[in-house]
Amino acid sequence: MSLFGTTTGFGTGGTGVFGNAATDSHNPMKDVEVTSPPDDSISCLAFSPPTMPGNFLIGGSWANDVRCWEVQDNGQTVPKAQQMHTGPVLDACWSDDGSKVFTASCDKTAKMWDLNSNQAMQIAQHDGPIKAIHWIKAPNYSCIMTGSWDKTLKFWDTRSPNPMMSLQMPERCYCADVVYPMAVVATAERGLIVYQLENQPSEFRRIDSPLKHQHRCVAIFKDKQNKPTGFALGSIEGRVAIHYINPPNPAKDNFTFKCHRSNGTNTTTPQDIYAVNAISFHPVHGTLATVGSDGRFSFWDKDARTKLKTSEQLDQPITACCFQPQRQHLCICFQLRLVEGPRVLQPPEKELHLLEERCRGAEASEQEMIRRAKSHLLWGNAEDLLH
Amino acid sequence: MGRKKKKQMKPWCWYCNRDFDDEKILIQHQKAKHFKCHICHKKLYTGPGLAIHCMQVHKETIDSVPNAIPGRTDIELEIYGMEGIPEKDMQERRRTLEQKSQESQKKKSNNQDDSDEDDDDDDEAGPSAQQVAAVQPQTGYGAPMAQLGMPPVAGAPGMHPGGYQGMPPIMPGVPPMMHGMPPAMHGMPPGMMPMGGMMPPMMPGMPGIPPGMPPHMAPRPGMPHMAPAPAAGAMPSRPVAPVAQPVVTKPLFPSAAQAQQSTSGAVASNSHSTAASSDPPKATFPAYTQPSVSSSSSTSVSSNPSSSTVAKPPATVTNKPATLTTTSATSKLIHPDEDISLEEMRAQLPRYQRLLPRPGQAHAAAPPVAAVGSIMPPQQGMPPQQPGMRHPMHGQYGAPPQGMPSYMGGMPPYGQGPPMVPPYQGGPPMGMRPPVMSPAGRY
Repeated sequence: MSLFGTTTGFGTGGTGVFGNAATDSHNPMKDVEVTSPPDDSISCLAFSPPTMPGNFLIGGSWANDVRCWEVQDNGQTVPKAQQMHTGPVLDACWSDDGSKVFTASCDKTAKMWDLNSNQAMQIAQHDGPIKAIHWIKAPNYSCIMTGSWDKTLKFWDTRSPNPMMSLQMPERCYCADVVYPMAVVATAERGLIVYQLENQPSEFRRIDSPLKHQHRCVAIFKDKQNKPTGFALGSIEGRVAIHYINPPNPAKDNFTFKCHRSNGTNTTTPQDIYAVNAISFHPVHGTLATVGSDGRFSFWDKDARTKLKTSEQLDQPITACCFQPQRQHLCICFQLRLVEGPRVLQPPEKELHLLEERCRGAEASEQEMIRRAKSHLLWGNAEDLLH
Repeated sequence: MGRKKKKQMKPWCWYCNRDFDDEKILIQHQKAKHFKCHICHKKLYTGPGLAIHCMQVHKETIDSVPNAIPGRTDIELEIYGMEGIPEKDMQERRRTLEQKSQESQKKKSNNQDDSDEDDDDDDEAGPSAQQVAAVQPQTGYGAPMAQLGMPPVAGAPGMHPGGYQGMPPIMPGVPPMMHGMPPAMHGMPPGMMPMGGMMPPMMPGMPGIPPGMPPHMAPRPGMPHMAPAPAAGAMPSRPVAPVAQPVVTKPLFPSAAQAQQSTSGAVASNSHSTAASSDPPKATFPAYTQPSVSSSSSTSVSSNPSSSTVAKPPATVTNKPATLTTTSATSKLIHPDEDISLEEMRAQLPRYQRLLPRPGQAHAAAPPVAAVGSIMPPQQGMPPQQPGMRHPMHGQYGAPPQGMPSYMGGMPPYGQGPPMVPPYQGGPPMGMRPPVMSPAGRY
């Protein structure tokens, strides 16, 4: 699942999140559930960019719709609008001014949704489902980038039915991320391509994948000067690779770490390895959050190479996440789980959760981080972090 | 590295026989793997330190060093990095290394062309992976393979087949020995191999090597033949694995296939290479490479992602997508076997084939990603349902706002976008599926 949220900037300040009355197993952390969730799993999430007033969250789902909620300061959400596709929506993103939302779907089209008029029009067409869509804002152009399972990456000026540019990829696009002037696309068969977007998009480099399993999600991170400098790549094998584009010492700077696996060091039972479904970088602190099919989300510090926190196991795989920076919320969404049996259908649980999490940067020592985490975390199992 | 008198050329961990580039990394490794409290995860500095901590803080006694190979679990021995290692073990280690380097000389002459370039790859990947503080790079695949991944060392066992052409007959005898191995796969110290008197003169890693070597000798096409033997030899737990027999051999073969590319021909067999304490990730790469190399059904040596030299057959050739190796002795990948993305799998479900929104369909199969792993069985029933699917759909189609009505109240009127396509299409709209999938799909 591609990453959103990094394209959004910083929102307005806010206070904490208030507990939800439900403390059953699917919400052990007293997060706020988003109201009126879609009827099927959510495939993508994105917070509105800070350039527009108000905080909005859009989520695309397998029920062919894209919904928009307003997120209020107290964390409560109010459904605002929705649009439909004719196939499951796989990806969505905001324009940089927050007036438009772009959605990509299995119906091979991408649409531009003008929120002011609540009208959506088709702006892109592929030969296969569109898996990733991103808005690119360059000094001399702006466009939409769409990556599809038809192995092409196309760039669209929204005013024209023909793509500005179409780049061939070696394989189907599985996930992508854009932080101008860099774009990364991960494809099937462990392909990995970096594009540079200055002047016009062009392929910059094809990278040998640092991971040995199918790619699942990618997220670009920035350096201290706020320039994109590398990316985090997640695979189905419970592993994330941190890869710098031009590191001074590749052997030492690039690394991978394992995550989303069951029974840590217990070697008596086979370890279950889950896919990493999404990665999101905290815009302020540069820490990253990963969510996996094991129903957990974790926070990591890539510079100190440590794990900061892992959530309790929630009862469904988590399919997407994104940070809403200023207020330091992390929004995650669960996959709908249908248990197929002889006519048994469990009630779908597809909440979106807004969580408050504050992850501090690497400057602090480990103990310091733990102390802070203890004081800020809302959920009670901070004992995990105690030494 | 400075002092030569007491330690080997490269620092190695006494507890698990792994090699490291640097003593600092070795110490980090020991702290994270062997001296870490299992209760509170506090990292101590030595074995006795850990014991004392557990006693004082948790009131628990600990009698063996975690993650240590049998024979090296003494919690009383104060070992820090390379200091404190008993002289006896040092000598044993030196001897083993010497023997291995002799073999690798011979093997290198056999395997000259491929080994060098891949040495670099492996070396490069290694240190970076070592520094992962978060988790130990020891996966299911990695564990058995890791020990053999040392490029310099790997060559060694590979040498023997040159001399021991009579190896194959020995193979059947290997399994009995192997059975004792699994728990200790992390690196058999020299002499630990219960050779069973079969091949005392052989290198400890040898029994595993022969299974690997023939595949190495005979390039991939020959591999399938080797499948049973190495499988039986290498992974005693294999028969237990839920996957089919051919799939079982995958961890071996990817490495065997890689033998041509990486020096670690020995990677093909699991374990027992004593000195092969190279970074597990280094060795796991060969093991990981081709999920589909020995794919059971598809003959496709199709996806050979790590090798730039092997061209991947175009996707249109394979009717069936490559499969993944999802199970190994110590770990299980919670993912459907096919090597396509979860979204692709889900998009193929009949409920999504229709161009109308179809939420909450009672017949719908479970999405492939079920945390509980109820992956395949539910979907078997899908194909028969497909023809019948259309009918129960009535009542929903035609009206675009499926399931929406409940939200109408709170939401402003929303645009509908392009008009809905007429209900249940036949073939053409099914083109949603990625081209590689066979039309019938698996669902």
